[in-house]
Amino acid sequence: MTTPTLTPYRSRLHPARAGFGRLLHAEWTKFRTVRAWPVVLGVAVVAVVLICRLGASGSSTSGGGPQTFGPGGERVVDLFRFAHRPLTGDGSITVRVTGLKSADSRSIEPWAKAGIIVKQNLQEGSAYAAVMATPAHGIRMQWNFTHDTAGSASDVATAPHWLRLTRRGEHLTGYESADGRTWSKIKDVRLPGLPRTVQVGLLAGTPAHNNVHRAFGGTSETYGGGLVTGTYDHLALKGTSTATAWKSTDVGGPVPNGPTPQDAQPGRTNVSPSGTYTLTGRGDIAPAEDGPDMVQMSFQGVFVGILFMVALGTLFVTGEYKRGLIRTTFTATPARLKVLAAKTTVIAAVTFAAGLLATAVGFSLAQSVLRHNGFTPPEFPDLSLLQNPALRAVVGSAALLSLVAVLALGVAAVLRNSAGTIAVVVALVILPQILSFAFPLPAAQWLLRVTPAAAFAIQQGVTRYPQVDHNCLPESGCYPLSPWHGFAVLAAYAVAALLLAAWRLRRRDA
Amino acid sequence: MRWLHAEWTKLRTLPSTWWLLASTVLLTVAVGAAAASSLTSGVCPSPDACHEDTVKLSLTGVWLGQATCLVLGVLSMGSEYGTGTVRTTLSAMPLRWRLLAAKAAALALLTAATGTVAITAALWTARLVLPVRGPTLRATIGSVLVLTLVALLGLALATLLRDTAAGITLGLGLLYVVPLLADLLGSPLWRHRLHRWTPMPAALSIQATRNLNHLPIAPWPGLGVLAAYAAGLLLAGGVAFRLRDA
Amino acid sequence: MSDATIEVLDLRKRYGRTLAVDGLSFRVEPGTVTGFVGPNGAGKSTTMRALLGLDAPDEGAALIGGRPYHALRTPLLEVGALLDAAALHPARRGRDHLRWLAHSHGLPAGRVDEVLEQVGMETAARRRAGGYSLGMRQRLGLAAALLGDPPVLLLDEPVNGLDPEGIQWMRTLLRTLAAEGRAVLVSSHLMSELEDTADHLVVIGRGRLIADTAVSDLLAAASGDRVRLRTDARARAMELLTAQGATVAVTGRDTLTVTGLRAGRIVELLNADDVPFTEVGAHRATLEEAYMELTRDAVEFTASAGTDEVAS
Repeated sequence: MTTPTLTPYRSRLHPARAGFGRLLHAEWTKFRTVRAWPVVLGVAVVAVVLICRLGASGSSTSGGGPQTFGPGGERVVDLFRFAHRPLTGDGSITVRVTGLKSADSRSIEPWAKAGIIVKQNLQEGSAYAAVMATPAHGIRMQWNFTHDTAGSASDVATAPHWLRLTRRGEHLTGYESADGRTWSKIKDVRLPGLPRTVQVGLLAGTPAHNNVHRAFGGTSETYGGGLVTGTYDHLALKGTSTATAWKSTDVGGPVPNGPTPQDAQPGRTNVSPSGTYTLTGRGDIAPAEDGPDMVQMSFQGVFVGILFMVALGTLFVTGEYKRGLIRTTFTATPARLKVLAAKTTVIAAVTFAAGLLATAVGFSLAQSVLRHNGFTPPEFPDLSLLQNPALRAVVGSAALLSLVAVLALGVAAVLRNSAGTIAVVVALVILPQILSFAFPLPAAQWLLRVTPAAAFAIQQGVTRYPQVDHNCLPESGCYPLSPWHGFAVLAAYAVAALLLAAWRLRRRDA
Repeated sequence: MRWLHAEWTKLRTLPSTWWLLASTVLLTVAVGAAAASSLTSGVCPSPDACHEDTVKLSLTGVWLGQATCLVLGVLSMGSEYGTGTVRTTLSAMPLRWRLLAAKAAALALLTAATGTVAITAALWTARLVLPVRGPTLRATIGSVLVLTLVALLGLALATLLRDTAAGITLGLGLLYVVPLLADLLGSPLWRHRLHRWTPMPAALSIQATRNLNHLPIAPWPGLGVLAAYAAGLLLAGGVAFRLRDA
Repeated sequence: MSDATIEVLDLRKRYGRTLAVDGLSFRVEPGTVTGFVGPNGAGKSTTMRALLGLDAPDEGAALIGGRPYHALRTPLLEVGALLDAAALHPARRGRDHLRWLAHSHGLPAGRVDEVLEQVGMETAARRRAGGYSLGMRQRLGLAAALLGDPPVLLLDEPVNGLDPEGIQWMRTLLRTLAAEGRAVLVSSHLMSELEDTADHLVVIGRGRLIADTAVSDLLAAASGDRVRLRTDARARAMELLTAQGATVAVTGRDTLTVTGLRAGRIVELLNADDVPFTEVGAHRATLEEAYMELTRDAVEFTASAGTDEVAS
């Protein structure tokens, strides 16, 4: 053994502490300097924008007839049988609902309604608050179309139920009671700008029957019919009314909006000598959820963008494993989890930035094409890029692209093989969509709940309200989960892949 | 024949080949069984009152199985470029057209054999779950051919692009993203065109056993579309392979 | 304890059923070039990977300056490593490869140009690494190892693929680096590559230490009491010397190697018998011969120890 005759060498460079920022800088340099990767990112942006625009140009509308808008500006349905009297100033209305049953040959819709309502006027779409009994959802208080609060679960088919609605200025309070003596409050709501004189009375209505026939390769949806009869007694109005008798109106008129002839028939009101009121009516008081989703229609290109993002996320990792470069990386930075974090951050940031550019431009182009193709206000209100739901969809789609890239990166760090990773991630994200069009509805919805494809819900521009029954058909762009919940599913997959990758990186020799 | 033997040995000795083939069978059977069992009595009260195409439903797994077949096809050429083996191969078998033909033949034989196992097993499994009715012969043979043609498509893409990742990405785009766009497009005209003239939705019309006159494209012509894509790309790949330096 | 040391302490590493390194211990001091020699598969790369924290040892330790690799805060400033020169992304320029490494430690961009100049890659580094020859890759790998100006260097087969001029350049560079007080560990499976470069040798076979010795000691031991004799009367000389109890081997057309007799005694005997000769001198063994001798001993050792397989 030689004895050192020299003093040991020390690096002349300053021992800078290796912070996370430096690691990000290193990974960013890696990404930037393989020319194909920024190029792929650019191609992805162009492809997304072009396909968003092309996809939109295929859609056109000749306008959907007259539309009704609620106080919040949203499209609504406001059709029901209304037995009413004007009420000036404060007051209250009380009634006992004794029955609610179907008046056509079909079974009753779960969201059929019988109850009391205070409405700004008899115009469709005017402000209102109502307390009602439903066949399947118990007692509800609903106001201004989009709001809904549950009361008790009482069913008027088994026992009559008392309802009360009081007005004090702009405040309306709903109550319910099983016996007419002990009352429980459901909710106190404020209808801003409610005039001094309003219409108050009984309501009866039901959503139309909606049937979906879905077989392989095709779906048919039939929509129509629906007629209910509500029976009421112990009707009492407190307050000042300019009319002494109850008048009946079909709010929205007897609109022939269905295939069956009785759809055009007016509703009926009977008053028995003993004070029993029987109202037969159709139509619903609810937000309108039919019609094309102009937001979602503008994001067709994102599906193509996903392919590029998967390839980028994968190659950013497997490119290093393939050539043993990963050992150089881990020699420079022995803290492997930090390397994983830096890689994830860099790929997430660049794909998000590119994705945001692509979705913002693609959305704007698609919107102008749609406007040109007949999707014009007021049926299709202008969507500002800086307001929800457009903002959420644009930013969310960019985040979706970015998360898919992160998912691919995580899977790549587990599998260490580009062929397998790309196939697995594309199959996970894209295939459930295709299969959901083909599978029977329950299986299709299950797929869109549990796979990363759920995240496409972030592109939905139509709000799906729980107080409206809808057949969530994947082919018409409906996702069973709400936008953020759907997005969370993809995020969970990405996090799981990263955790698995972290575990494997720590455990295995490089 | 000797070249076919050589290519067969090359394909056979890659461990990924057997993994992919096993996954093809497993995924085709599992997805088919899952799809079949998703048919609840609400949708399908009895075999007679069932509007679903049960044969097609039991063969849903082909949607997933084709991905592994594509990867197999891409890897059969892509891995040669990735590792530089292609130079060794070409020095041993310098006639490039014959080499590509041998590769395609070995790949097609292997995929067709695996496809037959997968499709038969999928139908047999689905029969345990629900009464599969209708003429199954065309759907069975057709599905095997779909898997085989997809593998050849993968080979063609890899030959053309000389890169595994690019080949798989493009192939999956063709197999998955195009049909998805076709389903989501707003324009019925374009939807119809895409359903007819792109390989994936068109080829799978071979699985249909009901409502045949409602299909955008008839079963055999539909399969022909995929075959045309595979053959065309293979031809283009072959020309590029012949003209380019390795 | 100085910073610039490499220490391997009773290292053991198993991959599946193969025992790659089996209780290996050695130490590399600053200021020396230490050759790390053994046949292919002897465990050199495994030991290097363990030193670099890439593989976790099953038992024992692999330390740089007394610390395990993952405890180093700025590893590139403490250890420079060249493991696999082919580990480059083919689409990335050589210069960009060094750049990301520099960024990971916050080193100034100028440092990249300095090391590129040091290895003579200023022009080639502007091209994509996919088109590099093996020699260029080795030079770039060496540049990466030198980037942090580290006191410890671990180089796995650095002269692989270099032309004779390149090998000469590499030898000079390694000696200069060691002379500055760095600890340099150079692995090779060919002893001849280390001739005139290494001061010290660590020889391993089958994952075990065979020798840990200064090159001068090894050569002296290998040369032993052998004497080289040049004579035109080969047969007569052999007859005479063998009769005196020496072992004589023919090593050339007119050369003999004699063991068992001192040079002076041989001259006496040849003169007394009038055998003509042109040269008598102490035999100087080459490193290769010394190595062969060592491994032969190792073979004998493992065989006598009852192992069924022997080091090749």
